[in-house]
Amino acid sequence: MQISINDADVFVSTGGRTPDKDAPVLLFLHGSGQTHLSWLLQARFFANRGWSVMAPDFPGHGLSSGVPLTTIEAMADWCHTLIKAAGHKKVTVIGHSQGGLVAMELARRHPEIVAGIGLIALALAIPVNPQLIGMAEDNEPAAFDAMVTWGHGHDGAFHDHPMPGNSHIFMGKRIMAGNPEGTLAVDLKACAAYADGEKAAASITQPAMVILAGDDSMTPCKQGQALAAAIPHAKLVKIEHAGHMLPVERGDDVNKALRRLFEQTGA
Amino acid sequence: MSKSFGFNTLGLHAGYTPDDRHGSRAVPIHQTTSYMFNDTEHAAALYNLEVGGHLYTRISNPTIGVLENRMAALEEGVAAVAVATGMSAVFLSILALTSQGDHIVASSQMYGGNINLLEHTMSRFGVTTSFVDPTDHDAIAAAIKPNTKMVFGEVIGNPGLDVMDVAAVAKVAHAAGVPVVIDATLNTPYLMKPLKHGANIVIHSLTKWIGGHGIAMGGVIVDGGNFDWGQNDRFPTLTQPHFAFQGVNLWEEFGPAAFAMRVRSEGMYNIGPTLSPTNAFHILQGIETLGMRMDRHMANTAELVAFLKDHDGVAWVNHPSLPDHSCHDVAMRQMPKGAGSIVTMGIKGGRMASQAFIESVELASHLANVGDARTLVIHPGSTTHSHISADAMKAAGLTDDLIRISVGLEDINDIKADFNRAIKIAQKKTSAKGS
Ligand SMILES: Cc1ncc(COP(=O)(O)O)c(C=O)c1O
Repeated sequence: MQISINDADVFVSTGGRTPDKDAPVLLFLHGSGQTHLSWLLQARFFANRGWSVMAPDFPGHGLSSGVPLTTIEAMADWCHTLIKAAGHKKVTVIGHSQGGLVAMELARRHPEIVAGIGLIALALAIPVNPQLIGMAEDNEPAAFDAMVTWGHGHDGAFHDHPMPGNSHIFMGKRIMAGNPEGTLAVDLKACAAYADGEKAAASITQPAMVILAGDDSMTPCKQGQALAAAIPHAKLVKIEHAGHMLPVERGDDVNKALRRLFEQTGA
Repeated sequence: MSKSFGFNTLGLHAGYTPDDRHGSRAVPIHQTTSYMFNDTEHAAALYNLEVGGHLYTRISNPTIGVLENRMAALEEGVAAVAVATGMSAVFLSILALTSQGDHIVASSQMYGGNINLLEHTMSRFGVTTSFVDPTDHDAIAAAIKPNTKMVFGEVIGNPGLDVMDVAAVAKVAHAAGVPVVIDATLNTPYLMKPLKHGANIVIHSLTKWIGGHGIAMGGVIVDGGNFDWGQNDRFPTLTQPHFAFQGVNLWEEFGPAAFAMRVRSEGMYNIGPTLSPTNAFHILQGIETLGMRMDRHMANTAELVAFLKDHDGVAWVNHPSLPDHSCHDVAMRQMPKGAGSIVTMGIKGGRMASQAFIESVELASHLANVGDARTLVIHPGSTTHSHISADAMKAAGLTDDLIRISVGLEDINDIKADFNRAIKIAQKKTSAKGS
């Protein structure tokens, strides 16, 4: 699905289905340097089970035109515009990593539009290693390498993908390499600069779930637990033996958990 | 633990995690046609590409899946599909991109089967091919037409042994918005990974060096994920709604893996050249030692080339490692570990002498294969390439005295002794006849 926002063409994956106007809406937000393909195992899954799925590529990512937004706050406002443009009043928002920060900030700034919130592989803040930001600025392929190496757990490192024949590591690199040059650095800086995680977390009154990966070396599990504790009523789900790229590494487990959240939100 | 493994480690481990239930360390052979669904929802999800998993072995299988993941890892591709033979890998790749009225630019220096498929089979279905010299990049550029869907070639031409400069060919093809498809059978990912040089799809006959023991047929298609299929309107099979799966747009929903998904979702569903799980197991055994074997293949090749070069019964020897080979520089730059273990030569005395040589070897095997652990010899002009035209033979660099050698893993002194003996017998026979 293509939507025009602020004069830029935005691509929104609907999981291969024509959205049903009456179905509850799920908004999936990808992480730094990623695209809607982070939701390879969620978009089609939920779109075919009665939900209306929106998995956008943020501006300057994937199949969307425009330039990358530079702050988490701007991304949250952009999401609000996107939801309105698509004609929706309320959505359940699910964010992975950076997308999780955007989801929290969206809930803080526009609480009326958020029915529930799912945060995957996230902490209260993502204080990106300055070395990684430097790499993303000076030598993107090296930054992609570092991200996919640290971003995956056992299955990723051993190229053991739930979709037969696929490689997490090389798929991950290609997805990032497909974005315009410089995209990753803009994203990482936006993450590093975001300091309102505590406030945003505390403001969430909607049903919430935090899904963490046991072997996450980018947003360590411990910090994710602190996030869950900071959100009133948040459910915590921990998936062992998985890395930061949880939605692709453990699609089945993540979907099972999200389903419980969606039952709760009535979304 | 380092999470980024080297070639040999990946060859042993990639694609497989011992299962919880039995802990089998080696990859089990899942000799089954079908798989239990958890419930009707699970069945529907598998049929609609919503979840990972297996539903029917024509489409995918756990043992074959390990092989696919392992090949994707070794080639640094985003996804792989393994098939019954190298030929079916070539065919399914063409099927994934072309329709009636489309066009392919292909190297004139290829395995005879590849040339025949394009020239005689695909042409009957309205897909035409222009064959060009793979080292003439201007000719490749000039041959690309608005309906061209791929530039196809081999890194090391068989049996001419010209070496394609993959980066240069990719530059020309990409400038025209066309992907590069490489049959990398003769180099294996150990000697060169074409995707790293700009190729977009890599095909192997697994029957050869990768399986490596002459015991199992197999093929694989590896998707580099490094081609923008949406940049023009040339690739409707990937960018327009699929005929099945509720009209999925593969480029939008699977991105870099769109091509591999098309191969599986059409080639395996509607044609079905499925690899047997047992053959997948045998090929996996081969991959476990691919790096070690290739080192040995290359060491033996270097010694044999030097030996033949100095032999006074040998009219000529051809291998890209030789400084006077026309593609020597490209070969050394692309394949610093060695330019493959196919060597060609002619025996003094012409075609008769070459045939006599083949009939006189005792250790080397006279048969129609390459990449066995054992040393192989053949006269392509009367066998593997006998179905192609005289012009195509010339273009493929095939002279009528040409002997193709696939250097094996035996002790090199034994190979040398066998060849020395056979060369002498061949010369005796032909000079006796000549006098
Ligand atoms: C370069 C090349 N490509 C493809 C093939 C076909 O492979 P297969 O015999 O596995 O079908 C062969 C060998 O036969 C080959 O040498």
